[in-house]
Amino acid sequence: MNNTCYYQVQGDEVEIFNYCVEHDLPALIKGPTGCGKTRFVEYMAQELNRPITTISCHDDLTAADLIGRHLISPDGTYWQDGPLTRTVRNGGICYLDEIIEARKDTTVVLHSLTDHRRELHIERTGEVIKAHKDFVLVVSYNPSYQNIMKGLKPSTRQRFVGMSFDYPEAEKEIEILIHESKVDKETASQLVKLASDIRRLTDLDLKAAVSTRLLIYTAKMLSSGCNISKACRHCIIEPLTDEPETVKALEKLVHAYF
Amino acid sequence: MEEVVGKIWDKWLTRQVSADHPAATVNLCDIRSQLLLFYRAMGGVTAKSIEIAEGQKLKVKRTTLQKVAGSHQKFSLAWQDERSVRLPASLAIFADKDLNEALYFWLVALAAKMPIMTHWLQDNQVATIKLMADYPGLKQSYLKLSRAYLAARPEPDTLSPRDRALEKQIQSALKVPGIVNHLPDGKYQPLPVSLWLYPPLTCLASRPDDKGLEQNNPGQRNLPDIKEIEQRKQVDYVDDERKTDGFMAFQAEALETWTEQVNLDRCQNEDDDNDNLDDIAKDLDIITLSRHRKAKAARIRFDLDLPAAENDDLRLGEGIPLPEWNFKQQRLVENSCFIQTMLADDVKPVPLSQKHQLLSREVSQLFLAIGLNRTRRKAQATGDELDLDAWISEQSRPVKDSSKQNYFIDSRDNFRDVNCLILADLSLSTEGHINNEQKVIDVIRDSLIVFSEALNQLNDEFAIYGFSSVRSQHVRYHILKNFNMRYNDHVRGRISRIEPGYYTRMGAAIRQSSKLLLDRGADNKILLLLTDGRPNDLDQYEGRYGLEDTRQAIIEARQAGLVPYCVTIDQKAHDYLPFLFGHNGFAIVNDATQLPKVLPKIYLNLTKN
Repeated sequence: MNNTCYYQVQGDEVEIFNYCVEHDLPALIKGPTGCGKTRFVEYMAQELNRPITTISCHDDLTAADLIGRHLISPDGTYWQDGPLTRTVRNGGICYLDEIIEARKDTTVVLHSLTDHRRELHIERTGEVIKAHKDFVLVVSYNPSYQNIMKGLKPSTRQRFVGMSFDYPEAEKEIEILIHESKVDKETASQLVKLASDIRRLTDLDLKAAVSTRLLIYTAKMLSSGCNISKACRHCIIEPLTDEPETVKALEKLVHAYF
Repeated sequence: MEEVVGKIWDKWLTRQVSADHPAATVNLCDIRSQLLLFYRAMGGVTAKSIEIAEGQKLKVKRTTLQKVAGSHQKFSLAWQDERSVRLPASLAIFADKDLNEALYFWLVALAAKMPIMTHWLQDNQVATIKLMADYPGLKQSYLKLSRAYLAARPEPDTLSPRDRALEKQIQSALKVPGIVNHLPDGKYQPLPVSLWLYPPLTCLASRPDDKGLEQNNPGQRNLPDIKEIEQRKQVDYVDDERKTDGFMAFQAEALETWTEQVNLDRCQNEDDDNDNLDDIAKDLDIITLSRHRKAKAARIRFDLDLPAAENDDLRLGEGIPLPEWNFKQQRLVENSCFIQTMLADDVKPVPLSQKHQLLSREVSQLFLAIGLNRTRRKAQATGDELDLDAWISEQSRPVKDSSKQNYFIDSRDNFRDVNCLILADLSLSTEGHINNEQKVIDVIRDSLIVFSEALNQLNDEFAIYGFSSVRSQHVRYHILKNFNMRYNDHVRGRISRIEPGYYTRMGAAIRQSSKLLLDRGADNKILLLLTDGRPNDLDQYEGRYGLEDTRQAIIEARQAGLVPYCVTIDQKAHDYLPFLFGHNGFAIVNDATQLPKVLPKIYLNLTKN
């Protein structure tokens, strides 16, 4: 983990997170892609001085991938802790990114960890692990990507303290761009204005909004001398759409600014 | 011979008076989708579309040659109303094609920043200043455009003294926006300014009691209290002192010469269902409106006759009242329309035809290939593959239980908790031909049958309804198969008998379908709309009202936990479907004949785990 993790506070998320930690409550972070969810968790880990374990969830993620499994050694089989079990034993923040991608039956193993019991049951070995006092469970997902057949079970959702993230306000986003890429303020504010125009098209003409992350990419390229049209095309437009007409229209929009 | 000479003369004369550069022409239809996206990004109203502007009459000073050629009376000007942004069909003002294209984008940007125009001269300048301040790139573009445009406008010194002052002011306003507040009085209007937007056509004439306002000079007019009328025609107000009943004396064969007075009561709510004289209005150049309120009975009605009850499907019940969204009031208005549920009860059973069998088999194979309804279960006693994890797990146990050797992975049918309601648009437009053999309705019939076979195979519960409408009071909602009916030859019989007719009141049909779906217990409820065009009806449902109502019905469905999805064969659907269903909420099928095959695939993608 980077010791100088930068995070621009957007609202009361730090305060709420601290309350969660104080009372051993699990946290659920919702927000569009590239709005700073992961960065926030890393930042909080740094602030609280706790190690962080990030698990990216996917379709094939099984309970065994989280908890652990038996492996074969020359002497027979032995038990290997999964990342979740390790964090439960040793303390730290366990961050399950895009939890919605995991199958519903997988996430059920979290239930006993997320209520007053704070313990993890390992069925294979019969072990019951009481969570370390520094253990914090954080999960995140992007509500706009939900497949209709996927989704968190209401019984799972109800175990978390929820926080909604969105792209930062213009002023804050400008600061982030300046800090992350050393671009000048004028350019940063133009980029943010461009982004707010493009974000109007989300769900109408574009599947996803232009993220702060993409803006940082653009600003980074600009700060090292890349041509503005090129930077915008490759860092903003191309990642957002494949449709030639949309690409052309977005290029016109870029030219309206630069 | 005369004809040939005439043609040559006409060609020569047109070339003499036209200042356009045909080689650099940019057509609106080529860049319309880009413009629409640009307009939305600039903050324009998402429900508006971009349409071609019809020619507007301006009273400008014409040269002798122009008079001889009969040109320069009507101009394609850019303007907008609450329904759409209207732009010229093509632009060839500049010799440079890029500039003509840039002009389109400039006009769209203006439209986005100036949704309501109260003063032609001032508003255009204010919006120009704002755009130049906010968008440095657009500023450069405007400077280039205005420079080239000013060069193309007549030199003021070559004009008569009176016109000179007018033209000078216009040119100054173009050069340095914001410095001109007032135009000198004159007999003529300024020459059209292609870099600016114009007020809606309805505003171009003022009412007789707006005394003191120069009727023909938009630059001098304050238009704060302009009454919006949804017409694209020029409007002229007269005071009907004689209080006649507005009898129209005309010969049917001379229809195109109608400029007579039509009694059209505009003082009452213009949204009134029966007030449509649209088609007649299209044939008029100027609609003359008066203020007297009589002769309401003299409405012209052109209703499509509904079939007699004995020739129609069986009506079930008295009709279900449903609300509609009024976007002007921003609220749902209760009992705005009535759904009439109908059932074809006397159909003959139709077995699955050879053609449908073939198509269905193809779709089934696709399902099998994707393995959609299979799931892998680990640690089973029997199965297709070895489960190494299960074996290791067993090996790790201190006490081994040899009676349970669950070391296999088994693939089994998955339980799909999906209910799907298919809502097919049966409006008259589905009678259109796709090719020499097939009409749209034929493809819809085939699609419904093949899709039903597919859903049957998946064991997903489904219902099929069709809809059409004749105004708000008669939204026909045909039951082809409800959730409780078994899919059988009778259902196929009903599907085979669907006929196109009437209009598309989409919002009402979606609301009723949502109600039916919400009664279902499944976790995943899909409302699949099959259509070939945008919402429309004989009354105000045409245009923005219909779009906004449909959008609202879809939002309500989504909020209730349903998944609305639209499959259309309308190639222009990109203009409005994103607004209705969202970017991920629809699919456009390019080749309509492929719909039967494509529809199950779309559904599969939608419900794939």
